[in-house]
Amino acid sequence: MRTRRRPGPHPRHRWSRPLALGVACTLVAALAACSDGGEQDVTVGLITKQETNPFWVAMKNDALDAADDHDVDLVTATGSSDVDVESQVEAIRRMTADGVDGILVAPTDSRALVPAIEEARAAGVIVIAVDTPTDPTSAVDAVFATDNRRAGALVGGYAREKVDQLGITPRVALLDLAPGIASGELRREGFLSGFGIEEGDPVISGSVDTEGDEDLARVGMRELLAEDPGINVVYTVNEPAALGAIAVMRDAGIDMAGVVVVSVDGGCAAMKSAVRPGDLDATAQQYPENMAAQGVRQIAEAVRGGDRPSGYLDTGVTLVTRYPMPGVASENVPFGVRNCWG
Amino acid sequence: MATPAAVAPQGAESAKAPLVDRRLRVPFFLLLLCFAAWGAAANLTDVLVGVFRSIFDMSNFQASLVQFAYYGAYFLLALPAAFINRRYGYKAGVLTGLGLAAVGGFLFVPASQALVYEFFLVSLFVLAAGLSILETSANPFVIAMGSERSATQRLNLAQAFNPVGANVGVLLGAVLILPALTSEAAKVIMTPDEIRASQEQDLGLVLGPYVGIAAVLVLIWLLIAFRKMSVPVEEDADALPRKGVGRRLWRNRHYRFGVIAQFFNVAAQTCAWTFTIIYAQDVVGFEPHEAGWFLQASLLVFLVARFVMVYLLGIFRPAMLLLVMAVFGVVCCLVSVVALNIVGLIAVVAISAALSLMFPTIYGVALRGLGDDAKFGAAGLVMAILGGALLPMVQGAVMDASGRTSLGFVVPAACLAVVAAYALFDLRTTRSEDAHQLAPAL
Repeated sequence: MRTRRRPGPHPRHRWSRPLALGVACTLVAALAACSDGGEQDVTVGLITKQETNPFWVAMKNDALDAADDHDVDLVTATGSSDVDVESQVEAIRRMTADGVDGILVAPTDSRALVPAIEEARAAGVIVIAVDTPTDPTSAVDAVFATDNRRAGALVGGYAREKVDQLGITPRVALLDLAPGIASGELRREGFLSGFGIEEGDPVISGSVDTEGDEDLARVGMRELLAEDPGINVVYTVNEPAALGAIAVMRDAGIDMAGVVVVSVDGGCAAMKSAVRPGDLDATAQQYPENMAAQGVRQIAEAVRGGDRPSGYLDTGVTLVTRYPMPGVASENVPFGVRNCWG
Repeated sequence: MATPAAVAPQGAESAKAPLVDRRLRVPFFLLLLCFAAWGAAANLTDVLVGVFRSIFDMSNFQASLVQFAYYGAYFLLALPAAFINRRYGYKAGVLTGLGLAAVGGFLFVPASQALVYEFFLVSLFVLAAGLSILETSANPFVIAMGSERSATQRLNLAQAFNPVGANVGVLLGAVLILPALTSEAAKVIMTPDEIRASQEQDLGLVLGPYVGIAAVLVLIWLLIAFRKMSVPVEEDADALPRKGVGRRLWRNRHYRFGVIAQFFNVAAQTCAWTFTIIYAQDVVGFEPHEAGWFLQASLLVFLVARFVMVYLLGIFRPAMLLLVMAVFGVVCCLVSVVALNIVGLIAVVAISAALSLMFPTIYGVALRGLGDDAKFGAAGLVMAILGGALLPMVQGAVMDASGRTSLGFVVPAACLAVVAAYALFDLRTTRSEDAHQLAPAL
C-alpha cells in the first residue's frame, strides 16, 4: 500500500537561498555573454532627400525594418526638398562626428555632396549612395540604386509600342527632374533611347524641370501645352509629376485615350489612382525596400567582419501597366499594388 | 467546412442524462481535438493559396488548385468513409482518417525539399482525404458516445470546436507564415540560386504548421488506438436506403434545387475565403502579414453572425432569412468589385455574415418533409462540397484573364444569386406540389 506524504512546507537548508542566487547570477551572466558575444554594435545613418515624397518615407520605414532584422541602430536625417543640399551636407558631417559606422545617402546633388562624403570616408565611415549616384561614383564605397537608364528605356519602349498601336504621330513632352541630378538625367536618356529618338529630335515638343513636384509639373505642363496643344506623348521623371501633367491635360479637355503618359516610380498613390484606371499608361516600378534593406545589411556585415560593400547594385525595376503591349515584358496592376511603396 | 447540427430526439430526461458515457470521456475529449484539427487544416488552406502564389510565382488559377485538391478529396472520400464506418465501425474510421491525415501532413516534408508545387497538392489531397474520413466518422462517433437524448447537445459541443480550430488555422498562417515570406520586391533582384534558397526558406515556414498538425493527429491516433472502448456499430438496416429513394429525391424539386444551392453556397464560401488575403494585397495594397488579419476577421464575423442567425431563425421563416442574407451577400460581392479600397475589403469580410446561416439552412429547407429519405438525401447535400473545389478555379481564371483581382468577386456574387433564387423558389412554391409528385412513389 502506498503512503501519501503529508503536505506542508519543505525543510530548507540554510545555504539554499545564496546558492539559488549564485546560480541565477551565473545564468544571467552567461545569457548576457551569449547575447553580446557574436554581434558587434553597428550604427547606420540614413539621409533621404525629403519626407513629403512617400518614396523617401517608404525607404526610411524599410531601413527601420532592416535595422531591426540585423540588430542595427539606425539614425535618420532628411532634407526639405529634392534639391536641399545644405541639410544633407550638415547631416553627413554630424553623423560622422557622432561615430556612425556607415551612411546611406540619397544625394540631392550628385557633385555638391562629394566633399562631405570624402570627409566621412576619411574618418572610416562606409558610405553607400542610394537611389542617386554621386559624380564621380568613386566618391562612395558603393551605389545601390535603380538602373535609372533602364527604367527610362522600359517606359520609352512601351510608349513607342503604344504610339504605333494608336497610329498617332508623336509629339513628345519631357517633364524632367532638375539639372545636375544623375537619376533624372539617366531616366531621360533611357526614355529617349527606348522611344527610339535622340536629343534634339523634332518629335520632342519641349521639356521642363519639375523637381519631381506635382505643382511644378502642372505649371510646366501648362506651359508646354500652350506652346504645342498637340502633345500626345508625355514622359515624366516621377509619378507626382505625372499626376500633375494628367490633371492639366484633363482640365484642358484632352481625350486621354489618344495620349500616352509614362513615368517612373511605382508608388501606391499613382498605382491606384492613375495606373489602375489607365490614365497613366505605364510606370517603371522601383524598389526602395531593396536599397534600404541591402544597404543596412551590407554595412552591418562589413562592420562585423564581412566584405566591404563596393561597386553598383541594381535594386531592380519592373514595368507595370493595365494595358500590356505585345512583345513588351510587363506586370499587371495587382502586382504593382502588391509591391508599391508609400 | 460548416456542418449542420445533428437532429436527435430530445426528451424531458435529457437534462438528467450524462453528456458523455463515463468510460468514453477521454476519447470524447480527443475527438473534440479532431474537430478543431480539421477546422485548422481547412482554413490554413485558405491562407496557402496566396502563399503558394507568392513562393512559386504562379497565376491565381494555378494557386487555386490548392482548393481543388483539398475539397476534391473531401468529395471523393465521402462515400468510402461511409463504407469504412459501416464495415469496420467508427473507431476504425476515425483511426483511418487520423492516420491518413497525418501522412498527408508529414508528406509536406519531402514536398518542401523537392520544391515541386504538384507534390504539395498531393500532400494536401492525402491530408484532406484523411480529414474527410475523420469528419465522416467523428460526427456519428460523437453521437454514439452517450445517450440518444443528449446526442444533439454532444454534437453541438463537439462542432463548436470546429470554428475554434478554423480561427487557429488562420492565426497560424497569419503569425507563422505570412510575416516571414520573402517579398516579391526582394525577388526582383535575386539570382536563380537565391530564388531557390528563398523558396526553400519560405516552404520551411509552410512546413511548420502542417507538421505540427500531423504530430497532434499522430498523438490522438495513439491515444485512441490503444484505448479500449465499446461504441455501438452503425446498423446496416438504418444505413440502407429504401428502394427508389434516388428517383424520389430527384423528382423532389425542393431537394434537387437544394443540392444545387448548397453546391453554390459552399463555392461562394470557399471563393470568398480563398481570395480575401489576395484581395487585401492586390486591390488595397496591404502587406501579406496585415492581409491575414482580414481573413481572421471574416471567420470571426462568420462565428458571431451564426449566433445572431440562430436567434433570427426563431423569428423569421428560414427561407426568407436565407433570401435576405443571400441578397446581402450578392451586394457585398458587387461592392468589392467596384470599390477598390478598404470599403471593398470590408465588403469582402462582410460576405461571411451572409454565409453564416446558409449551410445549415439550405440543409434544413432541402430535407424538410423527406421522411426516411432524408438520411440518404443528406449525403447529396454534403457532397455538394464539390462546389468548393471547382468555383475557386473559375474565380482565379477570371482574375487572371481580366488582370483585375476585384472582378473575380463576380463569381461568388453569381453563386450567392443562385442561393437567393433557391430561397425565392422555396418561398413561392408550396411543398404540396412536390408531395403530390412523390405520392405514387411513396
